[in-house]
Amino acid sequence: MNDTAKTGSNGSLIGKRIPKKDAPEKASGKTRYIHDIDLPGQLHAKILRSSQVHAKIKSIDTSAAKALPGVHAVITAADLPWQRPIGVAKDHLPLKHDKVRSPRDEIAAVAADTEAIAEAALKLIKVDYEPLPAVVTAEEAMSPDAPRLHGDDLIAPGPDGKPHVVHQASHDNVAMVFQYGQGEVATGKAASDAIVEDVFKLHYVTHCCMGVSGVIAEFDASENLILYSNTQVPFLHKREFAELLGMDPGRIRIVQPPIGGGFGSKLDIYPFEPIAIYLAKITRRPVKLVFTREEEFIASPTRQPVLMKMRSGCTRDGVLTFREVETIHDNGAYTSWGATTPFVMMQTISSLYRVPHCDYRTRAIYSNNPYAGSFRGYGNLQATFAVEAHMDRLAEAIGMDPLEFRLKNAQDPGEVTPQGMHFKSCGFKDCLSVAAERSEYQEKRRANEARRNDGNPVKRGVGMASMLHVGGGAKIYPSDGCGTILKMDDFGRVTLLTGASEIGQGSETVLAQLVCEELGLPLTSVNVVNNDTDVTPWDVGVHASRTTFIAGNSAIGAARKAKDKILTAAAAKFDQPAEALDTRDQCIVEKSSGKKLVELAKFIRSLHFSDKAELVMTSYYYEPPSKHQDKQFRGDVSAAYAWATQVAEVEVDTRTGIVKLVKITGAHDVGRVLNRLGIEGQIEGGIVMGQGYALTEDLIVENGVIRNPNFRDYKLVTAPEIPEMDVVFVETMDGEGPQGAKGVGEAPAICVAAAVANAIYNATGVRITALPFTPENVYRALHSNSQPPTWVAAA
Amino acid sequence: MNEHLRSTAVEREPAPPTPWGAADEIATYLAPRSLDAALEALRAGPVTILAGGTDLMPQSKTGRARFHPTLMNIRRIPELQGIGEASGMVRFGALATMTDLLENALVRSRFNALWQACDCFASDQLRNVATIGGNICNASPAGDTLVPLLVFDAHVVLASKADGTLATRTVPLRDFLVGPGRTSRRPDELLTAVEVPLPNERFVSAFYKAGARPALDISAISIGVGANPAAGALNDARIAFGAVAPTAIRAPRTEATLEGRLVAETIEPALKAADDEISPISDVRASAWYRRELIRNVLRGMLENVGQC
Amino acid sequence: MSANVSIAFTLNGVAVRATVPAHQSALEMLRDELHLTGTKYGCGEGECGACTINVDGSSANSCLLFAADCDGRDVVTIEGLADDKLTERLKQSFVTHGAVQCGFCTPGLVMQARHMLDKNPHPGHDEIKRGIEGNLCRCTGYKKVIEAIAEAGEASNLEDAR
Repeated sequence: MNDTAKTGSNGSLIGKRIPKKDAPEKASGKTRYIHDIDLPGQLHAKILRSSQVHAKIKSIDTSAAKALPGVHAVITAADLPWQRPIGVAKDHLPLKHDKVRSPRDEIAAVAADTEAIAEAALKLIKVDYEPLPAVVTAEEAMSPDAPRLHGDDLIAPGPDGKPHVVHQASHDNVAMVFQYGQGEVATGKAASDAIVEDVFKLHYVTHCCMGVSGVIAEFDASENLILYSNTQVPFLHKREFAELLGMDPGRIRIVQPPIGGGFGSKLDIYPFEPIAIYLAKITRRPVKLVFTREEEFIASPTRQPVLMKMRSGCTRDGVLTFREVETIHDNGAYTSWGATTPFVMMQTISSLYRVPHCDYRTRAIYSNNPYAGSFRGYGNLQATFAVEAHMDRLAEAIGMDPLEFRLKNAQDPGEVTPQGMHFKSCGFKDCLSVAAERSEYQEKRRANEARRNDGNPVKRGVGMASMLHVGGGAKIYPSDGCGTILKMDDFGRVTLLTGASEIGQGSETVLAQLVCEELGLPLTSVNVVNNDTDVTPWDVGVHASRTTFIAGNSAIGAARKAKDKILTAAAAKFDQPAEALDTRDQCIVEKSSGKKLVELAKFIRSLHFSDKAELVMTSYYYEPPSKHQDKQFRGDVSAAYAWATQVAEVEVDTRTGIVKLVKITGAHDVGRVLNRLGIEGQIEGGIVMGQGYALTEDLIVENGVIRNPNFRDYKLVTAPEIPEMDVVFVETMDGEGPQGAKGVGEAPAICVAAAVANAIYNATGVRITALPFTPENVYRALHSNSQPPTWVAAA
Repeated sequence: MNEHLRSTAVEREPAPPTPWGAADEIATYLAPRSLDAALEALRAGPVTILAGGTDLMPQSKTGRARFHPTLMNIRRIPELQGIGEASGMVRFGALATMTDLLENALVRSRFNALWQACDCFASDQLRNVATIGGNICNASPAGDTLVPLLVFDAHVVLASKADGTLATRTVPLRDFLVGPGRTSRRPDELLTAVEVPLPNERFVSAFYKAGARPALDISAISIGVGANPAAGALNDARIAFGAVAPTAIRAPRTEATLEGRLVAETIEPALKAADDEISPISDVRASAWYRRELIRNVLRGMLENVGQC
Repeated sequence: MSANVSIAFTLNGVAVRATVPAHQSALEMLRDELHLTGTKYGCGEGECGACTINVDGSSANSCLLFAADCDGRDVVTIEGLADDKLTERLKQSFVTHGAVQCGFCTPGLVMQARHMLDKNPHPGHDEIKRGIEGNLCRCTGYKKVIEAIAEAGEASNLEDAR
């Protein structure tokens, strides 16, 4: 507790409990989130959404809304013939012009003096629809006579201003396909002594950031766009907004106020952002658009729902032989990052355990349902749920202890998988052993199994699951870089300008810490600037657990350059080789004796005012030295990989179906702990998010409509429900990682549901392959009043 | 093809007559400081009554509730405050909050089921504000306090000045609740208090609300049980259910089955009677089938527990 | 438009007068009219606790409170506790325990914790969990929040002993 580091004087900061730099402001209510910012002259915008699930828009009458006093602009697609599409597949116009494909669809928008006026104006807009048949399951969507969601080419102006086909018609409702294979599955099957097959069904959940979505758009007198945005990828969006608006990217500045939660939800551009920009352009006023909570539920992305058929085999000696997987992803009406989650799912399917033969095919199918985006874990919760169920089932089939079975097939350091991932640091087997030992997994599993049929209606169960996830950046874009500018003032204070965004995860603290470690400075002397694309250097964005690793390495590089510069100058002054000097405790010291030569601030001042005017500003840019995957998805996706094993202990009340998560024991290979406080917070928060996915959260979509768009019926985990959490870190000191660390942001959420599923089986002998484990779902499964998920006939 | 041809309209609340919704509805705001003034206002015309506001505010914001031209805040009326006991009758002022009830020694010692219901009511912030009168008048089939109040044979006291003079009537809670969100309160009446006969000291009671979390949950079902147990039998057995009928209900046939007999011998017929007495629906929170299963399984455990007292 | 109501109340120790539309929530009044943005909008339905304030010594969701109902009452927001010793200790404890991540729920949690410690100066972990069951947090998993509140309670214990 008391190792809270206030200065660098008591040695290294690495592994200490460092409080977040922004925490005092946040705890005092002084932090200004986007909701708290008002610009002079600002108008308020509201969006009219569809009252239909699927319909042609015959006409829109905005005259009454326009006539309402206080209304400055009402826009529809007809007002914006130059609209260009957004999204991963560019199949999505911000304002819909021909038809609506889901109830979230944006039809018109109003800018007015107040939110109340904007809200009232929406009610005066009359839309005449011609209803179309709705397609609300992937099965329906795949049938040959199903209505086509995107049956026509989408035409929009290209960079030359002329009409181009920007998204081609889909005549089979297929939005995206992925296929990956290694080895020969037939060979693997032939070598198998045991084969198991299941259909898994993973449900809709959504991010529920406590701060709802919002944006403020403003054009300056020279038509430059300033966007106050919650985005997690400011530099990529700068370019995307430029394309969308037909603007020079250099004229777009994105400012990021502190963000009320991200979790991947802010990786894509959503219609409300361009809509606010259109309104700002038309009204020549700043326009602020903030969601209500209901709107946040309806118009935010979800986690990708997945229907998955998996077949796996092993020999009687417990060696995995093959894995064959097919998935159907309900793509919803438009394509966002959810459709690309197979990219991550295939890594778990092919490489969490050693599987010589593997086949994975997947299709994302358009429907009139909500669409999925990226969400902490990015497909891996879904893939891990299935893979880890099969690890238990295969172990049981051959009569082997499930821990032993996993250890036998787990990856080792140095392994290059058939998919081409190179596991340079890998603490997987340690994670398995440590988690099992600390939780007494084997003893409890046997004891619970023996008690399964006793008279007690409350059953206890223990279950294990592990995960593999990117931990050293993710090569999704052509670059995975992050820039840093480091500026030292003549009082020895550092301003670190980084492209990496802070979304609550603690990146600014860990970056400051890494810089202090290099320069021998106390944390209080580093200020991090990370929120303005006009000021900060380029970065891909905050996603894929990459910031500590990528931005951390970048910051270390910048700090080392500054240090080199200072020590080189000091070497000349003190007539010693630079290698013999160091910076420590805000001084330049002799490395060997620790003798203080001069105060750092004083020395820097002397550089500023010397005839060489050395200003000690430096910059550094880091790009991890690994190749991209090829078109067959072979190769590394990350410079390092994170591993974890979690053991869940549950109580299942067979009278009610209520599953209580009693304890999670987690062993996480994090490379190295940098900020113990921060990493514990990430793990604990991730575990509870995983708990919500497993047990409480269920975004109910019926006939294309979200039935529970509120916290009353969409149940986030509350404080009394959290499990006991015993988290231990396996430090493998990654060679590429900053101070040996790997990324960890997503890891803790990934295996909870899989572990809970195995624990429920251990408790009851019932294998449930569909999430969530809400009381009724579990009760039905326990009392044979539910059908396990079935594969899609049309597929 | 036919199976695709389902209705595509999104079911939403009908649009209000003016685009301003709640902002356009309230012509007059009153905050009377006496019961008399409040009753005069009620006599004068349609009034929306505001107490804690914890249901009214979100209902009005989402358009689920409409305001009458007069919004009357009754929180400053002294006659509606307080909890007290006189000659075997406990009176809960309509403005008693859940926190008031939780902190009341009499509730703690003699009305266990009510205390338990208040304990798992929403959250501390809501318990500090939500009133017993509001919870009753809101008449949710899943209203947390209704089930234990039914067990304790609560009556509501209604005051009015229909003909210019103060009139009160006392109505059994079970008659007061007439449907989801509907009570037998006349528009000119104000619920001033809830009266509950003090049960004898041997009377035991319990409340159960289905859910994985202790509170902040709208129950899939709730059950209240009360009785004077004696040597494995239940006397004065009282059973009430929430969220399995249009209102919270007492279950007289279940009670009759249990009355005076050994629990161990009557439990199966009692469960059968309970199943006959409930009429659950399926909604976003639970299916009718699951609600029936919960009632059966949980009631069994509760009866066994009471039987062992 | 809705009737306007003239009210007078104490806000963070200062007497204030305001004219509010009858349907307006205290949250809207605090944020939009009085520019006290430490109180957050999270759901508008009393389910998340981000808008927790203290009224007459009791915590409440300001999104459910009619602004007009503030008349004559003593209203305290997170801004009003800047000088309060116990709140200072709580905030410090939140910081050192890592109970803050995105921070959006934090002012509401601090307000609720402050009220909890008023009623129960030394709560145990289970009491704290129940005390904050109406405050949703998506980042921390609550564990560090619970520890932070517990330590602030323990610290007040030490102080009492002195």
